[in-house]
Amino acid sequence: MMGTPRIMRRTRTRTALVAGAAALCLSITACGGDSEGGGSLSAPGPEALEDLDSTVQVEFWHSMDSTNGQVLNGLIDEFNAEHEGRIKVTGSFQGDYDTTLAQHRAAIQQGNTANIVQIYDLGTQFMIDSGQTVPAQSFVDKDGYDTGPIEDALLNYFTVDGELRSFPFNNSTPLMYINKDAFEEAGLDPEQPPKDLAGIREYAEALTVRGANGQVERYGFGAAVYGWFIEQFMARAAVPYCDSGNGREGRATEVLFDDPNVVELVEWWQGMIDDELAAPLGRGTDDAQAAFTAGRAAMTLESTGAMGGFLEQSGFEVGAGYFPLIHADDPAGSIIGGASLWINGAGHSDAETRASWEFVQFLLTPAAQSKWHAGTGYLSVNTEGYNGPEASERAAEYPQFSVAADQLANSETNINTAGCMMGVMSEARVAAEEAWEAALVTDTTAADALSAGTDKVSRKIEEYNASVG
Amino acid sequence: MASPSGTTLPRVSISSTNRDGRPGGAPPRTGPPRTLVRERRKETLLAWAFLAPSLIVFALFLLYPLGRTVYLSMHGNDIIGRPTRFVGFDHFSELLTADFGKVLVTTLLFTLLVVVPGVLGALAVVLLLESGIRGQRFFRSAFALPFAFSVASASVIFAVFYNPASGVLNGILYELGLGQVKWLNSTDWSLISVSLTTVWMNLGYGVLVLAAGVGSIPREVNEAALLDGATGGRRAWHITVPLLGPQLFFLAVISTINALQSFGQIHILTQGGPVGSTTTLVYSIYEYAFAYGTSDFGRASAQALVLLLMVLGCTALQFGVIERKVHYS
Repeated sequence: MMGTPRIMRRTRTRTALVAGAAALCLSITACGGDSEGGGSLSAPGPEALEDLDSTVQVEFWHSMDSTNGQVLNGLIDEFNAEHEGRIKVTGSFQGDYDTTLAQHRAAIQQGNTANIVQIYDLGTQFMIDSGQTVPAQSFVDKDGYDTGPIEDALLNYFTVDGELRSFPFNNSTPLMYINKDAFEEAGLDPEQPPKDLAGIREYAEALTVRGANGQVERYGFGAAVYGWFIEQFMARAAVPYCDSGNGREGRATEVLFDDPNVVELVEWWQGMIDDELAAPLGRGTDDAQAAFTAGRAAMTLESTGAMGGFLEQSGFEVGAGYFPLIHADDPAGSIIGGASLWINGAGHSDAETRASWEFVQFLLTPAAQSKWHAGTGYLSVNTEGYNGPEASERAAEYPQFSVAADQLANSETNINTAGCMMGVMSEARVAAEEAWEAALVTDTTAADALSAGTDKVSRKIEEYNASVG
Repeated sequence: MASPSGTTLPRVSISSTNRDGRPGGAPPRTGPPRTLVRERRKETLLAWAFLAPSLIVFALFLLYPLGRTVYLSMHGNDIIGRPTRFVGFDHFSELLTADFGKVLVTTLLFTLLVVVPGVLGALAVVLLLESGIRGQRFFRSAFALPFAFSVASASVIFAVFYNPASGVLNGILYELGLGQVKWLNSTDWSLISVSLTTVWMNLGYGVLVLAAGVGSIPREVNEAALLDGATGGRRAWHITVPLLGPQLFFLAVISTINALQSFGQIHILTQGGPVGSTTTLVYSIYEYAFAYGTSDFGRASAQALVLLLMVLGCTALQFGVIERKVHYS
């Protein structure tokens, strides 16, 4: 008896709740006022930390969890212990890179940004355009800080209009990983991984193993459909990713990932899957990692950040080589990925801003970078960090770790390897990924899919550029 | 709803609103005595006072956001997400594209693929349990178990099952000598795979609701049916299923709304892909508003209003068409 009306009522309430919840989640982030607050966007000198009445609190928003988060917390504790009574840094995990950016955006609206925020490479232009941070260059100039030991490729990426905008911190570069045992089994030299697409195909033919019923047991190759790889392939082929000199000589207006080189790459990828030489993987990097560590794909592409996991989880010997080239005679540049640290000036006191810079300087020391690199597998931002005790120990145990540093050291720094700088870089990467995937799983040709993808991005760029004036 | 202490108070408010809101219905012939008028006013005031807390909550969490969504849907954003310029209905007219049509079709298809197998599956399980098999209690708990899983953990587990290279499902197919299925990586399968996960997640709740419904079927009805010689399938079809009408209807409505709202499993399994084949309306809203460093709250809000209409439409349709056929005992 009671049941009927209650069901109806509850259902109606639910309906309203659904609608309300959908609306609420959209509006919460947009209800704040536009309080700008005080705070300077130029670097304060060391005097800002003199005559302190109390400990300066520094809030640090980041995206480092699990192992990476633990190593980072260790460094924060070390810094706090050294600066007891003067500076206290509080790290706060905000979620993945996209989430941290969304949180930061909401914080700008509400006028309560953190002192330091870790933002991924793709958010660089947005961070510049939102005008909240003290440019890194300002600190460097004020203190005469020597950026000499900092990795050139990283400075190249985070320098825009001749100014270093943020401090590289957790950065990586993609590599090719191989299953050395499979190489030996197939009679290939595990010390000489293939260098270009044609080479990978040739090796994959030897590495692919079929079972009794004709089905593939081990694919020669298998990597995620990951937009970052397109950026990497293009940099290595010395092709800019977007116009206006990769967005560094003026605002970019279009992306160029419909370049013949990329079309060739996607067609090659398609051929590898059609001929069952490559595992039919999707956009998820977790799936690709699992395929490699499970021995189902003998060669894969992944970030240096994945090396620790590969070494731990694989039941075979893992080798690492340079990221492949589209053609053997490509110039072989290399771009980086990962995030950098931004110090918010707007709404913060000089003491806080100065204290934030002290902390960032600490993170960039060879000692801290040695621990960071050894603990996480990220590059040592400070090249002297590779000589530190932790890093040396790790390099002795796993020589694979030095491949990434070598790849960067052997890479030219120019406008193509600086990477594209624009406000919708994150959407561009996804669009490239979707176009690539569309070519693989639908009847659309690679050329059509990629050019449709670039058109889509062009519209977004236009809108972004219009909204920042 | 009916709270024990509120039994007299709602009656007061209901009677007063009824009297006020019924223009032609038996008005007092002569002016009522003053005390009565005052009494009545007091009652009305009291009613509003009791309604106030829920009205405030309702306004704060439903009406305000709804109004805000309408406002945002008519404005363009700056890069931080602040509404900066009025664009009228542009965001809505922009939705009249094949791309958005595909999102709507995907949403409806996903809803069908979740609701129909979900409700029928739960019904089948409950009927089997009712057929008097051994270990009925154990199986009832076992089948209700998915209810205890969070969307996130269930999705992660299914992602492992579906893994193209090392997943257990393809492993089984391989052992059987069958072809490999690209569960999440082909446009033909992705929506089915995500729906399958969702059906599994919803099954527990469905079983709980229907099992409770079966338990409340009067014993006399079943005994009468038995005396009339109805057993097994006949009894299930002619007695149990019709008497489960209210529960089945409830389940259909709730799972429709849940399906239209689904987000977690799509986000974890496919991120709306491949090639948008699992991009439902909610996922599309998320993509415009939050994903990939975007903050296009204007377009996202426009789509949120479309979702609102869609949920309203589906629910109205279910109440208008199906509920008429439900037999309430």
